[in-house]
Amino acid sequence: MKLKDCHNFYDFRKLAKKKLPSPIFHYIDGAADDEITYKRNTSAFNDVDLIPNVLRGVESVDLSTTIFGKKIDLPFYCAPTALQRLFHYDGERAVGKAAQKFNTMFGVSALATVSVEEIASLIDTPKMFQFYFHKDRGLNDSCLERAKAAKFDVLALTVDTITGGNRERDLRTGFTSPPKLTLSSLYSFATKPMWGINYLTKGKFELPHLQDYVKEGTSTNTSIGNYFSTMLDQSMNWNDAEKLCSQWGGHFALKGVMSVEDAKRAVDIGCTGIMVSNHGGRQLDGSRSPFDQLAEIVDAVGDKLDVICEGGFQRGTHMLKALSIGAKACSGGRLYLYALAAAGQAGVERALGQYKAELVRDMKLMGCTKISDLNRSNLRFRKNES
Amino acid sequence: MNLEDCHNFDDFRKLAKKKLPSPIFHYIDGGSDDETTLKRNTEAFNSCDLIPNILRGTGKPDLSTKIFGRKINIPLFLSPTAMQRLYHPDGDKASAKAAEKFGTMYSMSTMANNSIEEISNISSGPKLFQLYIHKDKSITDDLVERCKRANFDGLCLTVDTIVAGNRERDHRTGFTTPPKLTLNSLMSFAMKPRWVFDYLTNKKFELSNVKNKTDKGTNITKSVIEYINEQYDPGMNWKDAEYVVRKWNGPFALKGIMSVEDAKRAIDIGCTAIMISNHGGRQLDGSTSPFDQIKEISDAVGDKIEIILDGGIRRGTHVLKAIAAGAKACSLGKAFLFSLSAGGQKGVEKLLQNMQNEIERDMMLMGCKNLEELNISKLIYRK
Ligand SMILES: Cc1cc2nc3c(=O)[nH]c(=O)nc-3n(C[C@H](O)[C@H](O)[C@H](O)COP(=O)(O)O)c2cc1C
Ligand SMILES: Cc1cc2nc3c(=O)[nH]c(=O)nc-3n(C[C@H](O)[C@H](O)[C@H](O)COP(=O)(O)O)c2cc1C
Repeated sequence: MKLKDCHNFYDFRKLAKKKLPSPIFHYIDGAADDEITYKRNTSAFNDVDLIPNVLRGVESVDLSTTIFGKKIDLPFYCAPTALQRLFHYDGERAVGKAAQKFNTMFGVSALATVSVEEIASLIDTPKMFQFYFHKDRGLNDSCLERAKAAKFDVLALTVDTITGGNRERDLRTGFTSPPKLTLSSLYSFATKPMWGINYLTKGKFELPHLQDYVKEGTSTNTSIGNYFSTMLDQSMNWNDAEKLCSQWGGHFALKGVMSVEDAKRAVDIGCTGIMVSNHGGRQLDGSRSPFDQLAEIVDAVGDKLDVICEGGFQRGTHMLKALSIGAKACSGGRLYLYALAAAGQAGVERALGQYKAELVRDMKLMGCTKISDLNRSNLRFRKNES
Repeated sequence: MNLEDCHNFDDFRKLAKKKLPSPIFHYIDGGSDDETTLKRNTEAFNSCDLIPNILRGTGKPDLSTKIFGRKINIPLFLSPTAMQRLYHPDGDKASAKAAEKFGTMYSMSTMANNSIEEISNISSGPKLFQLYIHKDKSITDDLVERCKRANFDGLCLTVDTIVAGNRERDHRTGFTTPPKLTLNSLMSFAMKPRWVFDYLTNKKFELSNVKNKTDKGTNITKSVIEYINEQYDPGMNWKDAEYVVRKWNGPFALKGIMSVEDAKRAIDIGCTAIMISNHGGRQLDGSTSPFDQIKEISDAVGDKIEIILDGGIRRGTHVLKAIAAGAKACSLGKAFLFSLSAGGQKGVEKLLQNMQNEIERDMMLMGCKNLEELNISKLIYRK
């Protein structure tokens, strides 16, 4: 199987599985507890059907949208995800450059393996820095100042990770950062020698935003769940978020809002956007899916800030459905992560290109030429969803 | 595979399966008829979704609640289950000790292999006794008196076992109490020599609480189905229940309530609690699941009686959903029996630790500081 055989999400996933040592594959592929929310994030799209319109003259389609005051050419972007150099040796460089090519936004995680400064020097498309609120206030200030100095456009505070999710696949595979060889994982690393060679020869593994402050994750192996549970400040509250918002002074989003009440409060503290998200099902299993919850939140705050639907997207039609409900844009992690693992920048470009092609085709089939043509009259909810 | 590898229900189940002779494993694992209700008990939790709140600065949440007049540290306790000596040589002692360690309630079945007195001597934790009404009424009076003397905190009367359920796996494996070797089961016992050794070298198998009143099940081999049908009184009615409530005169639950109507009647006869339960899907197959039924019952009587959800719990989030829908606490049968089979007291402790971690984590992810904050507004039922 090669990159050119990858025609959709599932193909990229298959190729990624071939290339990655299993603890790393399962870190991407896994979610919390029984992974019910994770599955629901995607299956929720099947509870609603699209109603196309015909004879609308659709030869050219404009997929652009404006979020956080920036126009992007695609109605979806790359969500911030941690540790990308474990998935491919180019890591964030590859994803950033692919995002640039399609002029969409690139989200950089606090746990990124390439620095904000380097990303800023590489690409000039809109950039989001994802912020984790650490106990160490020096570390928090440093992250914020560096993202500001590197002229990032948006700061997104992740609020659904107050403690680590129960990712049982990681417990079983013994996944840690940096990766550690254990008796049980030895075999999976040994059978993927190319990954091992690249990991060891293409530059040292680092977490540039954190490593001046914490050893965990770079020189001390830690599981991600353990990192969240011990390093992040569990007392984080609305005051802290509000302070951060004004300290940043630019576009500011809360990532992981799921209730109407909290969405309203996000408006009050000055957020300009929210990601309706459950962290890709990786935190609270049993929580509602972003798509299921989207309409209520759009109705409540859609005219006051940018509502972004995040998680579960595997197809252009999934995005069309979320955009029809009223999301300003869609955001996804795995939709580009498998492609990154499969083939680096070329892989991500191919994946983004495919979603774009799907969206253009689906828009035409729907009889729509611009994102604002999509609305709820394009959708019918099935009665007997369960 | 060992205890260290047990992260969830399925892991404990797998390890138990490895350790137990197959008739015993299937006695725990099976339900009645087609096991439709057994499956639904857990699946029902997926009919609704949790809505978390953020930025609440919860810190470590308080997981304690109060049932049967006692505070328990986690909103989850051990359901009464019969014949625990079959699963591990330490039997009820192991479960009672583990529950005490986690500050939660242990429950003893009428059909336990340890006596009321034995357990009260080794555990000062909260204890519930589960009563079956035998045809021989003197058994009931005797059991109630002994529980009183032994300082049990509460009593529950099981009302869903008026006849034995059709547990087809037991028919097939030839499961009896005490275990009997048949041609059918010989292989499965021979393949678990460790179990046979433990069983034969430890204390004699007996139904400790009733052995002085009946030989059945102790010296005379009976299938559980035969035992129930012979010994329990199928004429049991509300009057009998009320008689026991009076006689006990303390915190009292009916175990196996499924309808609003019966829940109301439980209040009338003086119960302080009900356990919404279908006996873990082991009795009437096709009956509704506890979680499907809890909201209606809680809307009707939630302010007048303690509601305990019993059945189908496999995850911390199941407990959260049950509490949001109106339960004061939940109880576990199969989950803890597998952990008991997998590792005795250590096994049950590991299970309770896992569940405590899950509940605590899930509360934090929900943005809840204590169980009172979990209410129906946190749930959205799917259409
Ligand atoms: C491997 C992986 C790592 C992630 N790392 C982060 C992170 O560091 N910070 C964060 O806020 N979200 C992180 N996420 C969550 C994503 O930002 C996003 O919410 C999620 O991937 C959306 O679901 P999807 O993968 O179904 O698109 C991560 C997700 C994955 C799959
Ligand atoms: C092996 C086994 C034995 C049981 N024995 C009894 C019993 O003696 N008395 C009783 O009231 N319930 C008994 N139950 C039912 C449990 O108390 C409880 O209602 C049920 O297990 C809850 O469902 P769960 O297994 O899905 O948690 C038994 C259940 C099992 C699995």
